[in-house]
Amino acid sequence: MTAVAQAPAPVKPADPERSPAARRRRRVPYLLLFPGLAWLLIFFVAPMIYQASTSVQTGSLEKGFKVTWHFATYTDALTEYYPHFLRSVLYAGSATALCLLIGYPLAYTIAFRAGRWRNVLLVLVIAPFFTSFLIRTLAWKTILSDGGPVVSGLDTLGLLDLTSSIGLTEGHRVLATPLAVVCGLTYNFLPFMILPLYTSLERIDPRLHEASGDLYAKPLTTFRKVTFPLSMPGVVAGTLLTFIPATGDYINAELLGTTNQKMVGNVIQSQFLRVLDYPTAAALSFILMAVILVMVTLYIRKAGTEELV
Amino acid sequence: MNASSGGEVRLTGISKTYGSFTAVHPLDLTVPQGSFFALLGASGCGKTTTLRMIAGLERPTSGTVLLGDKEVTGLPPYKRPVNTVFQNYALFPHLDIYENVAFGLRRRGVKSVKKQVDEMLELVQLGGFARRKPQQLSGGQQQRVAVARALINHPQVLLLDEPLGALDLKLRRQMQLELKRIQTEVGITFVHVTHDQEEAMTMADTVAVMNAGRVEQLGAPADLYENPASTFVANFLGQSNLIEAEITGKSGGDLLLKVGDGRLALPAERCSARSTEVGTRVLAGVRPEKITLAHADDTDAIDDGRNRMNGTIVDSSFIGVSTQYVVSTPACPELAVFEQNVERDHRLIPGAPVVLHWNPAHTFGLDAGQDIEAGTADLEADQ
Repeated sequence: MTAVAQAPAPVKPADPERSPAARRRRRVPYLLLFPGLAWLLIFFVAPMIYQASTSVQTGSLEKGFKVTWHFATYTDALTEYYPHFLRSVLYAGSATALCLLIGYPLAYTIAFRAGRWRNVLLVLVIAPFFTSFLIRTLAWKTILSDGGPVVSGLDTLGLLDLTSSIGLTEGHRVLATPLAVVCGLTYNFLPFMILPLYTSLERIDPRLHEASGDLYAKPLTTFRKVTFPLSMPGVVAGTLLTFIPATGDYINAELLGTTNQKMVGNVIQSQFLRVLDYPTAAALSFILMAVILVMVTLYIRKAGTEELV
Repeated sequence: MNASSGGEVRLTGISKTYGSFTAVHPLDLTVPQGSFFALLGASGCGKTTTLRMIAGLERPTSGTVLLGDKEVTGLPPYKRPVNTVFQNYALFPHLDIYENVAFGLRRRGVKSVKKQVDEMLELVQLGGFARRKPQQLSGGQQQRVAVARALINHPQVLLLDEPLGALDLKLRRQMQLELKRIQTEVGITFVHVTHDQEEAMTMADTVAVMNAGRVEQLGAPADLYENPASTFVANFLGQSNLIEAEITGKSGGDLLLKVGDGRLALPAERCSARSTEVGTRVLAGVRPEKITLAHADDTDAIDDGRNRMNGTIVDSSFIGVSTQYVVSTPACPELAVFEQNVERDHRLIPGAPVVLHWNPAHTFGLDAGQDIEAGTADLEADQ
């Protein structure tokens, strides 16, 4: 008792915020975040700042580059290369739409109809990842080669006349046409569409389908009113995961297209590595990033998924 | 659509098999128009499968389903004039309460749904919740939305698949009365699947007790309780004392039974055993609350005409309104007796010698060729 009476100041040991254990507990999240944050800082934020500064520099390789706040690089780059931006968005948009058209039925089947084959099919979806991106795209060069079975088959069916009449292909070839680039993009990014779609479809309680049927919805109406709205998070995630990297992609256009199919990624690559015009390359990168950010923001607003995800 | 016509459900020879497993043996069942009908049984007894065959969610292996005069066996769910309240409700998470309730009307092309939806939400007392999402409501409220979403379509038959299973006990009792009120108000035929015998007896006019894919017995709750036709029903609905006995003779309308060293009388019309010949073995049953306990010293005060058995109290537990005793007798080691706590006899403690006596009219007889334990284990597993 005397010990308590002699205590110099009333301490409140019951205060949970001040106890050492609580302080340690509050530090834990920061410790867990540290590796990731450090990684981002070194490999994302620092290069971004470096690139931002490059984009407003002037000079040449021989005399060296200096920051002169030359923002005209941006307007010049945009004026000169806006067709490539448009083409990138167009190609990536078409590839995303194709991925959705091909991927949705596939993901739907795996989620609801595959039964015990489900895991096998999922492994098949990601199987292409066991080969490198470059090799897979090169393989498409063979598949679409002039006079190959695919091209001559399409030609016999008269489909090539159709695609060339709308400017997708030229004459009797597929390789080195917009169609080839879009096909390559579609193929390469398809798994990024299927997996999020599958995840969101698989989470839907099958009883909701039964309930919908019980409430007089025909199977197609059930899909329109129940299944599809509930799979929106997957649609949004899948389209973003496909569209964003496809817009910046240059491998497909490089290998399957010609100079007439160059996308903005190809321009950035050649400005950096061949022309060695670093400010223009950096400025193009930032414009591309801004374009994607604006489009994604508008898209997410429109899709209204805040409540669903 | 007029709710008061065609609400009769007639199942004829309906069965369902999955591979080599028979979920429902061919069964005939008629649910009268406007009744509150319960399918009662332990999990896996085929009651939900039967319900799903009425809803069209399951295609029967054999037999036909008739709603009113119309055969619907081959019709998909969306073409049947029935609606279901699903277990765990299956409310559409992306739609608000209003749109959930309006779903069926909209699918049938009804243009102005507002008045009906508002009325229906009033009926289930959720008027102020129209714009909430299902996950923002409590379990009881979600349950009422599920009922409203089904009832707004004025189905000829409302199917309820364990609708109260996810609620806690107190809320469940409240919703039982609520559902019963709604059924009386709308007059639609309700077919209710449950494993809770108390729930079935509280709510339903008619109960079909199902066991292993077959209907064991069908009738009004009181009738099933008083006259169980099988050991399963006797044990599953409430609790029964079943005593092995042998018929030794007849006297008036009663069968005379020999039980261990004692004798019992059993009204002949309450014996469902296949044969009532002298020498046949039967199971004599009596409900625990029908039995009166008297201390062995008071034997003289018992009326002559009553069934009696001697025994010793093994255990007693006081539960407020009543005291439950377990009594050991020569014929049956564990007889349950429930005594109302009106005038408690303080001599009735474990170890006390007692006489059990009851009105012979409360005895029922069952065929001895059945499992005496049927229905007891299931009951424990569910609770």
